[in-house]
Amino acid sequence: MEKTLKIINEVKKQGLIKNYAIGGGIATIFYVESILTYDLGVFYRASEEEEGVTILAPIYNWLKQKGYKLHREHIIIEGIPVQFIPIYNELIKNAVEEAVEVKYEETKTRIFKPEYLIAVMVQTFRPKDRERIIKILDEADINRDYLMKILQKYGLKEKFERFMRLFYE
Amino acid sequence: MSNRDQFKTKIENLFKEKELFHKELAKLSFEEKIKKLVRLQKIAHNIHPSSKKKQMVWKISLKSSI
Repeated sequence: MEKTLKIINEVKKQGLIKNYAIGGGIATIFYVESILTYDLGVFYRASEEEEGVTILAPIYNWLKQKGYKLHREHIIIEGIPVQFIPIYNELIKNAVEEAVEVKYEETKTRIFKPEYLIAVMVQTFRPKDRERIIKILDEADINRDYLMKILQKYGLKEKFERFMRLFYE
Repeated sequence: MSNRDQFKTKIENLFKEKELFHKELAKLSFEEKIKKLVRLQKIAHNIHPSSKKKQMVWKISLKSSI
């Protein structure tokens, strides 16, 4: 995975994206025991000039020039299907901005904080998100005040509390 | 303590141990967890090798054996 992260960092270095952070299943794995997932979700802030549907084109063109192939909605970078997801709302924007820097072997990368990871999952709320919320709450060190502040800010507090009542009461 | 109470205590302890076990796994390094992820992908692949929804097992080099 280190080679993949190096290439993603190179995408940033080339100025194709301004910033990025890993979310989804791989970010979840950083905080909890391993769970089954197949892709590496990279949420990114595009260069200011890029807008609309062509937002992914410069990244994918550059990667294709490097010899990486497309597979469904992913691009396979050094053996790992990577999905680049542009920031699509304020919550994701803040999750990327507030992400923490971590190291995988010798390579630096950025990962959503667990509190943001939960908030994003409360927002998307697919069955797998609900499972992951429970795992993160059970196994990771969560700053509850910080989490509630984020949920309140993005109008997700009631949804989260309903979910908690269903699972823990 | 009655047999029923003893049984209840044993079950409670079992669940506590299970919880602790998962928390210990959560403390593994990121690199170790990725190794375990690839192992999970291989297991899932072997269970449903002909599934139409078959997903790709990561083709990455792992520095030590899983």
